[in-house]
Amino acid sequence: MAPLLAARGVSKAFFGNPVLRDVSIALRPGRVHALLGENGAGKSTLINLLSGALRPDGGTIEVDGREVSRMTPVHARQAGIAVVQQELSLTASLSIAENIGLGAYPKRFGLVDYRELAARAKAACELVGLHEPLSTPVGQLPLGRRQMVEIAKALYRKPRVLILDEPTSSLSATETKILTDLLERLRGEGIAILYISHRLNEVMTLCQHVTVLKDGTCTADQSLEGTDAAGLVRLMVGRDPGDLFPQWRPSASPATAISVRNFSAGLMHDVDLDIRTGEVLGIGGLVGQGQEDLLLGLYGAIPARTASATVNGASGLPGGVPKANALGLAYVPADRKREGLHLIHTITTNMMLPAFARLPALKLRSRRAERETARGLAAQLGIKGDLARQAQALSGGNQQKVALAKWMPHDPLVLLLNDPTRGVDVETKREIYLMLRAFAAAGKAVVLLSSDTPELVHLCERVAVVRDGRIAAMLDRAALSEEAIVSAAMGAENRKVAA
Amino acid sequence: MTAWKDSAGGRRVMAVLSSRPFLTVAIVAAVWIAASFASRGFGAYGHLRYLVELGAVIGLVAAGQTFVVIAGGIDLSVAAIVTVSAISLPLLSWGADPTGLAPVLAVLALTTIIGLVNGLGVALLRVHPMIMTLAMATFLQGLLIIIAGGSAVTAENPLVHWLGNARPAGIPAGVLLWVAVSVIVLTVMHATPFGARIFAMGANPLAAALSGVPVTPTTLAVYGISGFTSGLAGVLVLGMNGQGYVGIGDPYLLASIAAVVLGGTSILGGLGTYAGTIPGAILLVTITALITVVNASPGWRSILFGSLILGLLLLSGREQARR
Repeated sequence: MAPLLAARGVSKAFFGNPVLRDVSIALRPGRVHALLGENGAGKSTLINLLSGALRPDGGTIEVDGREVSRMTPVHARQAGIAVVQQELSLTASLSIAENIGLGAYPKRFGLVDYRELAARAKAACELVGLHEPLSTPVGQLPLGRRQMVEIAKALYRKPRVLILDEPTSSLSATETKILTDLLERLRGEGIAILYISHRLNEVMTLCQHVTVLKDGTCTADQSLEGTDAAGLVRLMVGRDPGDLFPQWRPSASPATAISVRNFSAGLMHDVDLDIRTGEVLGIGGLVGQGQEDLLLGLYGAIPARTASATVNGASGLPGGVPKANALGLAYVPADRKREGLHLIHTITTNMMLPAFARLPALKLRSRRAERETARGLAAQLGIKGDLARQAQALSGGNQQKVALAKWMPHDPLVLLLNDPTRGVDVETKREIYLMLRAFAAAGKAVVLLSSDTPELVHLCERVAVVRDGRIAAMLDRAALSEEAIVSAAMGAENRKVAA
Repeated sequence: MTAWKDSAGGRRVMAVLSSRPFLTVAIVAAVWIAASFASRGFGAYGHLRYLVELGAVIGLVAAGQTFVVIAGGIDLSVAAIVTVSAISLPLLSWGADPTGLAPVLAVLALTTIIGLVNGLGVALLRVHPMIMTLAMATFLQGLLIIIAGGSAVTAENPLVHWLGNARPAGIPAGVLLWVAVSVIVLTVMHATPFGARIFAMGANPLAAALSGVPVTPTTLAVYGISGFTSGLAGVLVLGMNGQGYVGIGDPYLLASIAAVVLGGTSILGGLGTYAGTIPGAILLVTITALITVVNASPGWRSILFGSLILGLLLLSGREQARR
């Protein structure tokens, strides 16, 4: 039986950074195919290649065994390929029916045939157990119901290939059951399904075949029969850390820098946390479980509540970034282009901004002193070239160094880092790692939020694993391993992967 | 030649020559020279001095506007604030004060407060600056009609009269005021941490906030400054005109924004300088004078004015798309 949709040896790079290398996958009718991999392993890119949203740099995409030279989203739709996206693609102000039919409205005399639309949308909704009135604006639905609308939207198009990107991450247990039953039935009807999930138990019960991606390469393409959750985790994370990480030496002291009880901010709630001086505390977990809100809440950038808090000796949360800065907190954001840097300003200005923020407003500046400070920071961090250039002229790694460097003159006591090595080249990663350990060794506290599990294992004294807005596990150095972090992040039973 | 360009001093000269403020100055000079050949009397010292005096009003309004635009906002209430200033000053007749200083200070405090209210709406209520300041302008306009009605009010304030008519050392007092304000504005903008915060907020408000820039107080200050300089412009225009009436400030809304943009300040915020706004303001009054020379009817004058501003912006003011 020929695969309905297949990729053969596809590669894709963004800005010279390879994301997928020589990956093959074949979706066959009547089979639920699992696609597993860590954050950033290339899963979303592979889906985008299969659905024509991106074009591969190398390799081919085949539909019904025939090569498609230029796959586009339109071709994909005509070939019966439907994708349920992880980031919800619905329009909040349109109704359920309008969203489901969007782009494929039934027409009558050139106008939208709303009666026909309602009938067909209703059929799709019944499949997924969606009983809300079809005229309800999607914006009024809770997240889980919106996900069901998203799935109904895919079914409305009567797909032959259904790709679901983490469909259950926002679903309740009942909704998940409805979905798994539905997928089971669709499989029986001969539809090919690609299922991406971080919930290994679901994968084990629902899927028959698995492809595992790791750092953009395919590490497994096998039947799920005879595989257990622990084996899957090992396939996803097993890699050689090499000498990327500095020698680890304990430097934590018993003194606490930050201590919060019953802390809530954004998605995070009921957090009890002590951050010690001299430690690198890792924050791990799947993307978007609330980790970022924990950092931003501590930093005073988003509203936060707490039963009690001590921050560098002061009681209570700082409640505002300027106050947090005054208490010795510094924050390096994940999205440096959007949150970290002023791309149209010079490197020097970027480095001086925290100083401008806290100096008396009308004190006269000394351009010469600013240039000297910036030169010193650049030398210290190995940032080369003219500092009067705009920050956007720098490479990603050097931009990240600037985002870090600007806090250095203020000698922060606590450094809050949000995924500081995302999209950064290996050499810069190494430099950042050395800097973080040196910082901890100097008796400061470092909080390292990272989507890169090896980083957490090799740099941190302790790792708090966040799931569903809570700290699901606090792993000490002795218990720290990639397997332990990944299984805590996915809520897999610990005893299964205890090794 | 190339060696000269590559030297440090040479690069600095090249940077000035290719800067937007310099370009605007060059356009003003070119227009003045061309116009004085074309029209007798245009290039006379008295006429040019008069142009700069008119430019002072736009320049004052545009001073606050430059701050607001660099900070990433826009102030559409400047014209209404100019009118508020020019109408409320004559109404505040304090016979006890022979210098006339007290009413002027009171009016400036009032217009600054109006600006601060704009800032409150933008920073705390998170109303879009365009909506907030436009609503403020409409509100003020209504208030002015109720208070002043259709009649003009005459100012009998010695300080205001002096400001509008005196010429110490042959230079109009309004121009001297503009020079003083310009020095202060340029210093605050480019030589203080406050100025740096404004540029940072305009270029990337999120990154600025995460770097510890006190966004709310800075936003308040910026709109407060705009209210203050518009109030100052209202005092000056009242002095030059002798009378205040509803609508006296109307020309200064488009003029202030045009002067800012002609001077090379990015309407998207984060980039620019008042050093460009100054020639921008003079360029605007020059264009107005040229159109008057052409002797067109009022309708055609407006059409010409609008078209010329658009043309000049197409010539020099288009920005590169930001990533």
